Amino acid sequence: MNPILADIYSTVIPSALFVIAAYVLVWAVLLIYVIKVVRGLKKTEEQIAVLEEAVRASRPPQG
Amino acid sequence: MARLTRQMRQGGGPFAPSVSKPSAFQQYKTLLAKDLRQEFRTREMLTSMGIYALLVIIVYGAALALTANGLDIMRMGGGLLWVLIVFTSLLGLGRSFAHEKEQGCMEGIMLVPLDRSVIFLAKATANILFLLAVEIIAVPLFYFFFMSGEPVAPTFPAIVAPLLLGTVGMAGIGTMLSTITMNTRAKDVMLAVLFIPLIYPLLYACVTATTVAITGTEFWIDFFVMPLVLACGYDVVMLLVCWVLYDFVVSA
Amino acid sequence: MSKGKARVPEAGQWPDRLAIPALAAGTVLTSAAFLLAFLYAAPVNGAALDAPELVGGVMVTHQQLISQKIFYFHMPVAIVSFAALAFAAYYGIRYLSTREARFDTCSRVAMEISLLFVVFTMVTGDLWTRFEWGVWWTWEPRLTTYLILMLIVIAYFVMRNAVDDPERRAVFASVISIIALVDVPICFMITRLIPSSVHPVITREGGMAPDMALTVVVALVGMMLVAFGLYRLRFREARLEERVQALKEQLDG
Repeated sequence: MNPILADIYSTVIPSALFVIAAYVLVWAVLLIYVIKVVRGLKKTEEQIAVLEEAVRASRPPQG
Repeated sequence: MARLTRQMRQGGGPFAPSVSKPSAFQQYKTLLAKDLRQEFRTREMLTSMGIYALLVIIVYGAALALTANGLDIMRMGGGLLWVLIVFTSLLGLGRSFAHEKEQGCMEGIMLVPLDRSVIFLAKATANILFLLAVEIIAVPLFYFFFMSGEPVAPTFPAIVAPLLLGTVGMAGIGTMLSTITMNTRAKDVMLAVLFIPLIYPLLYACVTATTVAITGTEFWIDFFVMPLVLACGYDVVMLLVCWVLYDFVVSA
Repeated sequence: MSKGKARVPEAGQWPDRLAIPALAAGTVLTSAAFLLAFLYAAPVNGAALDAPELVGGVMVTHQQLISQKIFYFHMPVAIVSFAALAFAAYYGIRYLSTREARFDTCSRVAMEISLLFVVFTMVTGDLWTRFEWGVWWTWEPRLTTYLILMLIVIAYFVMRNAVDDPERRAVFASVISIIALVDVPICFMITRLIPSSVHPVITREGGMAPDMALTVVVALVGMMLVAFGLYRLRFREARLEERVQALKEQLDG
């Protein structure tokens, strides 16, 4: 390759690592956050099920 | 008997107090006088802050052991001085409400029908005065230990301005934060964690101004006047915000 | 909820119907911005070359940098994190004026979103700095301001943990969020206006070409939509937790 062309693109390969790392890290953090929220939702839903059981058990049988 | 009838004629009832409600400025003066008088009697804040400043300087002695070049210390002097002031003020601010809390003064003050922001102003003024007193001791000490090697620039006396502006800002926001963290767990750490990020812009401006005052520079407007104008802006804005919000905080 | 009280935000209302489309739109837009950044926006000039060269019909005189592509996401997330802080302070003010605990929940969730986006800002900014300037950290105005913002938001959550009484906690949290909102622009201005060798002002991106501006705007709108969707999602979870807690207390008491 023409040495000047090589010089023009000389920073691309070394910087590609950082660029990719930046985007990957951002998506990773986002994914972790969304997973955390969804797990919290699931846990709360389980707790609601338990509470519904407790309400049904504590209410005296009708009739 | 005559006084009672006079009071009843004034319409306040037999046991109404015969003084009018003091103005806000009088309340402020009373609260401030209380703090100052207590400090004069016990001197505990000033002594503890003063000794702490001396101890930090001694740590600096170890830290700067290898800096033989006098000019380095001159350039770092502003920053080191402000580190000293920040940590000493953290100590002092953390204890600013200690007396009120221990002796139950706070409940008493809250019973008085006053504008709660007056408490903020009085306490902030007291903290400013204590901090200034400590600085009056600390700056000559610092000069004595570190800066007598090289001659200082002729602009050295100008460090009074950043010291003053910085102290006002730090005491203002520190008093507000001290009230917030007064009742939390681990209140000293909490105060530091909140105080230092909020104070950062002020610190940065004051360090710049102090450093150029110590070492001298030809870009006076850029490096001295501009930071001081910005520090002044910071002080005004922050003190206003704290003034407005203090009522909510102290009544919580 | 009695009719006389002011309307208070609740999960599952009309904004939630917008949340999923917002997230989808946001994802689409940010992906579009990603593609635009790499395929459409012109690469930024780096160091000068020894001799000009003709590439694709255009005279090229500088090295072409792609590390600057990080910037197209760095600035939008920074703006979004500040916007989230503004919302948190807004809800803080509403809490202080009405003492409705719901606003405290809104404020807390907004602060969480702000923290998330500040982490994004720090990550992208730090990696950009590492490549451009060769150091892992430089005390430049933007990075420093965002470090301070991150520390303030972390302090906010530490303080929330340290106070037990819910009403007190809400008051203190609102006050801190308002002070933080006032402090961050001041911090940015001061570090920018005071020249210093340690705080270089990086103005490479001052004066944006239209193609760069378009990419940034697309990324910004996309990120805002993503932030909105995340906020509604997290708010829904927070409300659910609160209702479960209230139910538990009713059952026990």
